[in-house]
Amino acid sequence: MHFPTMLLISLIIVTALLISVFVARPAVTATRGGKILAFVVLFLLPLLCMAMGFTSELERSKSTSFCLSCHIMESHGRSLYVDDPSFLAAAHFQNHRVPADQACYTCHTNYAMFGGFRAKMHGLKHVYVQYLGTPPAPEAIKLYYPYNNRECLHCHEGARSFEEGAVHTADPELLPAVKANKMSCLSSGCHQVVHNVRELGKVKFWKGAQ
Amino acid sequence: MTAGLEKRIQLAGILLIVGLLVEAVCLLWARPLAFILLVGLGGFLCVSGIVLYLYSLVSARDLNAER
Repeated sequence: MHFPTMLLISLIIVTALLISVFVARPAVTATRGGKILAFVVLFLLPLLCMAMGFTSELERSKSTSFCLSCHIMESHGRSLYVDDPSFLAAAHFQNHRVPADQACYTCHTNYAMFGGFRAKMHGLKHVYVQYLGTPPAPEAIKLYYPYNNRECLHCHEGARSFEEGAVHTADPELLPAVKANKMSCLSSGCHQVVHNVRELGKVKFWKGAQ
Repeated sequence: MTAGLEKRIQLAGILLIVGLLVEAVCLLWARPLAFILLVGLGGFLCVSGIVLYLYSLVSARDLNAER
């Protein structure tokens, strides 16, 4: 367990213990000092615990292990370990082109206004479908919208390997079209192999970091 | 201090304790369902406890004014 989480749980326990004093002896609040203490213990501390708990959980929901904790995402998690650089997600994960501990979130959030919020709303929908709906087969999982190049360009735009790459500069029309999102980075013939979970039975896996 | 006021503070305290315990358990259990429980159940109980405590403050002031 992370140190901040341990600290937060300690704060929650201390707060609960202090509250229990007021539950056992509510008459303590009759004095001026008791009233001030009650305001701290029954209002300020719980508010602080709630805010810190929510922030901590929100931060944890960005982690790769959080996304992959649902059974349905197992094959997508395995696809990150495919030993083939043409698998886009695997190449990004294994070479730390995205933070390995936030791999899913880094590519699947959107880098527009309220992108993080939208990603969380989609996450809530996933939990709903997982527990109350009919989850699709892992191979049938699709994006809500076609993948926007903006998410790729968030990191790659301006990078030398991207701007001056031989394939990218072979056609002078290509990069402007990619930057305008008129031609998808995931187009056929470019980076079309992403997770491809249907093919996981036929590929080799990288064991290095497991 | 009236018995009704004490009851309200006690109930507010119990709601807060249960809400905070739910929050603590959710922080230990790193699953998507824990996130929902923390926000939904833990948040609801804590907010209810805080609102009840604030209401008890307001109602205590009303009682004092009546006297």
